[in-house]
Amino acid sequence: MNRGPLLFLGLFITMACSWLGFVLGPQLQIGGLAQTNTVVVGDASPQSYPLAQPGAARQGAEIYRANGCSACHTQMIRPLQSGSDTHRGWGARRSLAEDYLFDQPVMLGSVRVGPDLANYGRRSDLNGVLLRLYIPQLITPGSLMPSYRYLFETRKVDHFLSRDALVLPSQIAPAAGYEVIPRPEALALAAYVLSLRQEGYLFEAPPPPLLTNALVFKTNSPAKTNSPAK
Amino acid sequence: MTPNEPSQPLPGNGAEPTANPAPVPIWLVLVFGALVYWCQLYLSAHAGGFSPVVYTPYASSEEVAAANPQDPGARKRAMGREVFEKTCYLCHQLNGLGKEGIAPPLVGSEWVLAPHGDRIARIALNGLTGPITVKGQEWNLTMVAWRDNYSDEQIAAVLTYIRTKLGDNKASDIDAALVKAARAEPHPGPETTDELLKIPVQ
Amino acid sequence: MSATPSPASAVSLVSPRSTPAEAGKSCPVPFLCLFAGAVAWLFAAALLGLIASLKFHNPAFLAGQPWWTYGRVHAAGSAAFLYGFAVPAALGVGLWLLCRLGRARLAGPSVVLLGGILWNLAAAVGVAAILGGESTGYDSFEMPAYCAPMLFAAYGMIGVCGLLTFHQRREGGLYPSQWFVLGSIFWFPWIFSTAALLLLVTPERGVLQALTAWWYAHNLSTVFLGFAGLAPVFYFIPKLVGRPLHSYYLAALAFWTLALFGSWGGIPGGAPLPSWMTSLGVVGTVVTAVPLLAVAANLFQTVRHDLHKLDANPTLRFTYVALVFWIIAGAQQIVGVLPGVSAITGLTWFGVAQQELFRWGFFALAVFGALYHIVPRLLDLEESAWCPRLLKAHFYLTFLGILISYLCLLVCGIGQGVLLADPRHTFPEVMKSSMLPLRVSTMGDFFVAFGTIAFLLNFARILTRPCRCCCGAACAASKPREGA
Repeated sequence: MNRGPLLFLGLFITMACSWLGFVLGPQLQIGGLAQTNTVVVGDASPQSYPLAQPGAARQGAEIYRANGCSACHTQMIRPLQSGSDTHRGWGARRSLAEDYLFDQPVMLGSVRVGPDLANYGRRSDLNGVLLRLYIPQLITPGSLMPSYRYLFETRKVDHFLSRDALVLPSQIAPAAGYEVIPRPEALALAAYVLSLRQEGYLFEAPPPPLLTNALVFKTNSPAKTNSPAK
Repeated sequence: MTPNEPSQPLPGNGAEPTANPAPVPIWLVLVFGALVYWCQLYLSAHAGGFSPVVYTPYASSEEVAAANPQDPGARKRAMGREVFEKTCYLCHQLNGLGKEGIAPPLVGSEWVLAPHGDRIARIALNGLTGPITVKGQEWNLTMVAWRDNYSDEQIAAVLTYIRTKLGDNKASDIDAALVKAARAEPHPGPETTDELLKIPVQ
Repeated sequence: MSATPSPASAVSLVSPRSTPAEAGKSCPVPFLCLFAGAVAWLFAAALLGLIASLKFHNPAFLAGQPWWTYGRVHAAGSAAFLYGFAVPAALGVGLWLLCRLGRARLAGPSVVLLGGILWNLAAAVGVAAILGGESTGYDSFEMPAYCAPMLFAAYGMIGVCGLLTFHQRREGGLYPSQWFVLGSIFWFPWIFSTAALLLLVTPERGVLQALTAWWYAHNLSTVFLGFAGLAPVFYFIPKLVGRPLHSYYLAALAFWTLALFGSWGGIPGGAPLPSWMTSLGVVGTVVTAVPLLAVAANLFQTVRHDLHKLDANPTLRFTYVALVFWIIAGAQQIVGVLPGVSAITGLTWFGVAQQELFRWGFFALAVFGALYHIVPRLLDLEESAWCPRLLKAHFYLTFLGILISYLCLLVCGIGQGVLLADPRHTFPEVMKSSMLPLRVSTMGDFFVAFGTIAFLLNFARILTRPCRCCCGAACAASKPREGA
């Protein structure tokens, strides 16, 4: 190992191995995935999946990226065997390569300081998202999420209350005659997180075995049920 | 704290380091070999034959194919589960036990498990309002109509799933024709208990 | 392959400072430029990391302005460390080692200087842009698209000079450190250009972006920073204990296995990819146990009888601790990737702990050790020119800070993983229970920041010393020789 060229050749080959395996190989194998290739289990007619995001959601993805939301939120559901993602109601099935076909950029995240958002659109609504962005601790006391007040504007009510104005409890509500309205960035970001949904069982991820009742949503304290009245 | 003092130089300081030609110890070679062997075992067990359709937890493409619903009945239940987990679970919960103040339980409900599916199909199609007794408990809530959101096949599938797979429910399948027939009767508002009780379920 | 260890013993042992071809005698300015920039960036990275850490005590801290929101500060801190500190420091130390071990003068010092300035400008633009919301959204590859060409050009200028310096060496045999330096110089442009092309210029479709970003981040830390940090470790430990390296062949084994297997991995368990990709990542990472054991066996055998010398020499102390941290970080990476473990610890602070230990505990400490040795020699000063008090403060603050931070994050990650695996604990509950170690880790971040300040002061102090008396003479003396 005293010759420069030989050393470089060796380095080149080792580098090329990993490059072929992790860059070129996957590109050749799943780089051609397309919307029509997907087969949704159980449907009579083949369904298009995934659907492209609406324009507002695409703008929102840029807000999500710019503010580094993926530093705390992941967007991937792991299989039943890893952790308890499905048990927490974060997603019905594991995430697949298909789920991200239209994401740009793909922001899967690496640490869960906040809950997973892969299916956030299936469990929240516009008002919930906006309130969480404005004062996260209002809905989840003790939440670590910072407030994104700079995505909102407090302004004087102009004759009529705006349609978009946040409905806030009295102790945080702005002074009388003022209202808090989301800026376009907040609405775009909300549109983006509400567009996040990984739906349907696909061939690669058929319906997993049904979870036993003991595990499913125990935290949601199912309704007190009397003994069957039959 | 002042190394390199001229009076006490560290031995060899200043000379460039050299390397002894000691051989690689045999234990390390054995560890390397054992690891490479383990890698082969691991890859043959977990790499899924390098197929693009194999994701954990499946080990091969045959296993993936086998895990997919095979016969029409299984496919129908899978479709039903999809609909349930997209829509119904929001109120009735994933386990179908319902939630106080939100929705009554589906598991063990006499409305769900009735031998004939006419009543339950109408609830799914037209919604429901007003008091209803489920498993001995009175509920007074409103359910929206799903007539315009799902096809006959999908409603039949989700009802089949609820009646056969959810919790310990065991009842007969619901046919798409039954849903079609129920849809054909126009019904402007949500159903009520009184109306439903007029429909025979035996 | 003729594997005769470099016959460096043939080098005359007269005072090394009078050897004409010594690196210190080629113009010190490009080295000092790279190092000064790196140290300043390290301070910035420590500060940004501290701000990010403080946000876990009070989410409302600095939350009003978009520039200081957690996601941006966190990304900017990471970019400041990697692109502000790590790459220039790796290049500076690497070039110095190439000069020193090849008994060659730095080729194209003005080009290196220019490259260093350009790199620092690009990094400054990039970090500011990240705070302004221009981050790419990929971990470890946060720099916006318009910074990439600048960074690449600057790296090219410095890297080519490194290769020329290597080519002009007058020492036939190669010492292991030279392989590691060459490996790191070679590795970065390839992975960086691949990532820039496939993520920014013509973005790949869907989840392949995430795969490329993971591959890049893993190669950047495990291979690039690994090589760049191990080069000074392999150089200084034998040199300062005054014994030859235990085994040339073990070093070669470590080098090739790290290059071959260290470059496969970085994919979190359960990632949305066909299982062969995740499995290959697991396999590649597990086999990095071989370079880990080879390096440990080699260097621990070398210092076996000389552990007492650790107290006497700051460079040796930093380097030795860096080596120990490298081994711990590597072992944790291997354990963490095993399917049974990653199912629990995946996507928690466990991985962050490993990353912090690798970046700060291994790489930064190895660079500190090298700088304590190199900088006085560049300036024609004794090592005693460092303020011993600041040096001591730097070592203990940094060491303790990293240790506290690492252990807290590790405990926090494991606790979080174990609790999250049981769905009966709600997510907010789990987060609340993991708050205590997370908050204690801020203390570690404070220590590291203060340690970095101590180093910054010491560095500024030693840098301004020759300027006060003999700078003009030294530069004038070295310049005519460049032309020769």
